[in-house]
Amino acid sequence: MKTKPTLLAGILAASMCLSASGADLRIWTNSQGRQVNASFVRIEGENVVLRTADATEHRFPLAVLTAEDQAFAKAAKAEAAPAVSANMPAAEAAKVVDTLVYNGIMSGNEDRVKSNRAPLKGFNPVSTDDHFVRRVYLDIAGRIPNFEEASTFIKSSDRNKRSKLVDMLLETDGAKTHLYNYFAEMLRVKDDFEQDNVRGTPYIGWLKEQIAKNRPWNEMVYDMITATGKMWDKKPDGTYNGAAGYLLRDSGMPLDNLANTLTVFIGTDVACAQCHDHPFADWTQRQFYEMAAFFGGTTTRLGGRDFANGDRGKVLMEEIEKMVAANPELDIRRLRNGIQNYIGANRAAVKDRGASTLKLPHDYKYKDGAPNEMVSPKFVTWSPTDTETPAYKGATDENIRTKFAQWMTHPENPRFAMTIANRLWKRAFGAGVNEPVTNIDDPSNSTNPELLKHLASEMVRVKFNLKEFMRIVYNTRAYNAEVTSENIPMGDKYYFQGPMLRRMSAEQAWDSYMTMVLDKPDTYKAPLQDLYAKSIDLNLDTVDAKTVLIKYDAFRKMAAKERALMGGSLDDVDDMMMMDKKTTRPTTTKKEDVAATDGPGKIISYEGLRLMRAAELPQPAPGGHFLTDFGQSPRNLIDGSTKIGNVPQVLMMMNGKAQKMLTSDESPILRTIEKVRDPSEKVDAMFLSILSRKPSVNEKDTAKRVLGQGEGYANMIWALINTREFMFIQ
Amino acid sequence: MKTELLRLNDANRRQFMLNTAKTALGVTLLPGISAKMAAAEAVSKSGPGTPGFGKAKHVIYLWMNGGMTHIDTFDPKEGATKGFGTPCRAKGDNIVSLGGYLPKLAANADKLSIIRSMSSKTGVHEAGTYIMKTGYEPRGTIVHPAMGAWGTHFLGRIKDVTLPDSVVVNSGSAYPGAGFFPPATSPVPISNPENGLQNIAPTASDTQFKKRIGLMDEFDTNFRKKFQTEDVKAYTEFYDETLKLMKSEDLKAFDLTQETAETREKYGRNNFGQGCLLARRLVESGVRFVEVQMGGWDMHNTIDNAMTNNGNTLDTAFSALLLDLQSKGLLESTLVILGSEFGRTPDVNENDGRDHYPLAYSTVLAGGGVKGGYAYGSTDKEGRRPADKQTSPSDFLATVGHAMGLPVDEVVMSPSNRPFTVGDKGVPVIDIFA
Repeated sequence: MKTKPTLLAGILAASMCLSASGADLRIWTNSQGRQVNASFVRIEGENVVLRTADATEHRFPLAVLTAEDQAFAKAAKAEAAPAVSANMPAAEAAKVVDTLVYNGIMSGNEDRVKSNRAPLKGFNPVSTDDHFVRRVYLDIAGRIPNFEEASTFIKSSDRNKRSKLVDMLLETDGAKTHLYNYFAEMLRVKDDFEQDNVRGTPYIGWLKEQIAKNRPWNEMVYDMITATGKMWDKKPDGTYNGAAGYLLRDSGMPLDNLANTLTVFIGTDVACAQCHDHPFADWTQRQFYEMAAFFGGTTTRLGGRDFANGDRGKVLMEEIEKMVAANPELDIRRLRNGIQNYIGANRAAVKDRGASTLKLPHDYKYKDGAPNEMVSPKFVTWSPTDTETPAYKGATDENIRTKFAQWMTHPENPRFAMTIANRLWKRAFGAGVNEPVTNIDDPSNSTNPELLKHLASEMVRVKFNLKEFMRIVYNTRAYNAEVTSENIPMGDKYYFQGPMLRRMSAEQAWDSYMTMVLDKPDTYKAPLQDLYAKSIDLNLDTVDAKTVLIKYDAFRKMAAKERALMGGSLDDVDDMMMMDKKTTRPTTTKKEDVAATDGPGKIISYEGLRLMRAAELPQPAPGGHFLTDFGQSPRNLIDGSTKIGNVPQVLMMMNGKAQKMLTSDESPILRTIEKVRDPSEKVDAMFLSILSRKPSVNEKDTAKRVLGQGEGYANMIWALINTREFMFIQ
Repeated sequence: MKTELLRLNDANRRQFMLNTAKTALGVTLLPGISAKMAAAEAVSKSGPGTPGFGKAKHVIYLWMNGGMTHIDTFDPKEGATKGFGTPCRAKGDNIVSLGGYLPKLAANADKLSIIRSMSSKTGVHEAGTYIMKTGYEPRGTIVHPAMGAWGTHFLGRIKDVTLPDSVVVNSGSAYPGAGFFPPATSPVPISNPENGLQNIAPTASDTQFKKRIGLMDEFDTNFRKKFQTEDVKAYTEFYDETLKLMKSEDLKAFDLTQETAETREKYGRNNFGQGCLLARRLVESGVRFVEVQMGGWDMHNTIDNAMTNNGNTLDTAFSALLLDLQSKGLLESTLVILGSEFGRTPDVNENDGRDHYPLAYSTVLAGGGVKGGYAYGSTDKEGRRPADKQTSPSDFLATVGHAMGLPVDEVVMSPSNRPFTVGDKGVPVIDIFA
């Protein structure tokens, strides 16, 4: 980046005229002898921030001050920053975070006063248990708590029950599923790569597996950037090479892929620079191409030169045509396209061909290069001294793509740790410390620069262990506070006095429905997840025509196998719940057949809706699905989901299948309620099952009256799931 | 359910919804900045007072999914690339003939303008679809709006009815839909014209439904009182709007059973035919932009069979639609357009089919102020390249935008602060307007 000129001299000169008052004020001198009366605010990397008596902040390089003043600033900084030790427990680490959040709230009061709003005294009051239990289930496990989970927590008198619940939830399958949803949206993960028969299944499987293992974030990303080969190549440890899916997802559009890489992993939005110099930030098109050059020697589509004996696809097809022609029952015209695509899918692989061959575009119009000029790989910097840091110096691999990964995922990369820390913070609070999370242009312009820097250093301290990082965040006083109830005007900075009120994401809404329907929705997994990888794989260097035909046949039967697993009904839920409770009820042979396949169980469905968590459904869900109507990302853009209502969505909430399922006589939620004897407790159970809270006295009266009438239960359930209270997370 | 908002006039409500959308998205939508860009001199012929500007109050986009063969339909050839059909004589001197599979349209060609010199860059279905609906090439970093959303952006919500501005028929997905505009501007998808709007009918009786709404409001009182935020209010507003729509007489627009059996037969008893009929009903009720999709155009194999089926379906529905619009007096204010992601190879392949071919293809416009019996541009003798007046997808969509009365040269900033125009700086084909 070009460095922005700092006019210290100008600031100092202007400030000299102002009256000096205030206890913290002192005289600061620069190396040229100019002086300013100001108080110390903070150090931001290479810069120092001072506040003059008129309350304006000035930022300039620390290096311009005299040695004495530099030392003073550094000492002041050490005093301001709370100490963190290497193995500090999450609760302690959360307190340090809270100190910084609190400071931020206080400094944010300046803006509030300016806009005629009452200053904040600190955090919002601590949230009630019922609000907390619902929120933390939704935020960590991605769904509302069921009746038992909500009531157990609310009843518990354990002083540490919140921390314990966070610990427990972080270990659940739900937490993995929910984090997968988050990354799938961020990374635009899809089943259909829109290239022949190439599907993202092995990539999805890999991603889920890494999350389940709580693989450190830097290692995961390193794998995605450096993976070589096909997604369905088997590695020595028996796992699939799904990480290759990251580059293959964007096969044929490497520049878009690079723009996305920079955006999601290091918060650097350079989409503009792809076509021209960035109009608002200091990025040039040339810099963008220099970064893209790290991938300029890599292909995502194998050609003749990438195979030992050239591309045998054509020869294989000729042989196959002959074999098919010999069989009167087969019609080559019906098969040809399918087989060609089947073979073609095996050309989707990542391979390094050597040095970058990337050129500047043919219409390049800037003076720092000529059209069609070759570009060499070069890292961007955010400050002139960046190149002296280990992130830059340590990136030494001969392979340019690996070199890029070493640099980008290095703990001291100026943005890598900060970007994921800021993202996970937003996931808990509804806003990032820096907004947008896709562009941390200048951390010192964020809502709370000290907090942002601290979160980044915490991410490094926990060694990119996302679970540990989340444990800290969810243990903060800030997160444990009530959500903010005032309207937050667009573009206003948010200082984290508590989480923001958020609408459930599409996945949270669906998975909450699944909780009401299935009680323990994580029991139900999509079957046959690795059948695709097994049946699509061909070694194009060695395979013969006959094997291609046999495998192609198996590939085509895959869909039929999956269909055979459909047909479970809501009645099976009860069976499975029973099995879960280890009753002696015998399982039918039919179910054993199903269990013998790759998946753990049958797919339960209701009027064609597959009842399992969003992460187990097609990625993304098809048009017209509950998830689509609720704004699930179509997975074309980074973080592409929406939380805005629309007519089809409301129609679905009021009259759709999911609603019908919950209000029908066979509604699983009724089973929970039926177990409760006392009519007044039935109402409690209903409220706890749907809203995770007990009813108020008035609500209880209304409910008792309604339940005494025809369709009472259905009417109650309908009304509760259609409230704003249901859709928004307090 | 009465809220302050219901008492606001349309413009205020629209503004409110827009604000809400912005808040919820956490983004800023800058107002359009009218800037004369590089293409400005070229599009200077557009704007109020120029031929055809704003004539099309409604648009029906017939979308031929899969890549419609140009030679077998709207740009027939004699000679080496003729294919299997024999072209038929078309009414309207300038068009001369249509593919042999379209006799009814040939007889109604005096209502058509055909652009025979279309040319695009991509032979990939997804990219071709995207570029023919937005004017832009797909990017991994932004979604561009389709024409219906541009219409709502510039012209506002349609007035006096509770119906949506845009509808897409025979599809479960609205993509690319609103693009970077608020999702509320996205078309409402109708998967099957026979079924109309999904989930519109309550699953309970009238009295019971009312009771449920009452209970919902009662249980939600405290929450709504506590959180008087834009997001929450917007939801309540959506519920109100939806309830109004459920009770609305306008809903009949979605109900094909209101049509006589004779009319329904005329359009053809298939999804596309009935989709065209639905489009006419929607347009009649005020909907601005309706897209009707038809599949089966990816004719890699045995194109003669495929064209016999698809040609007949298209021929029947399209001509019925034109005649019906005409008899209802709607043809002058309704622009019917037909497009596809690309054309198909002039050479017939070894499977007696044709493959993807973006270098030359055709689009059709009718009604809405365009000339009849008119062919704009042509391809060479074998249909391989535009011979004159080459027209890009951007030009085509700029023409549609011009007919809708949109300022096609006005630059609009996306929430990510990137500049865009209707159809990506295309030049409207003014010549095609009467």
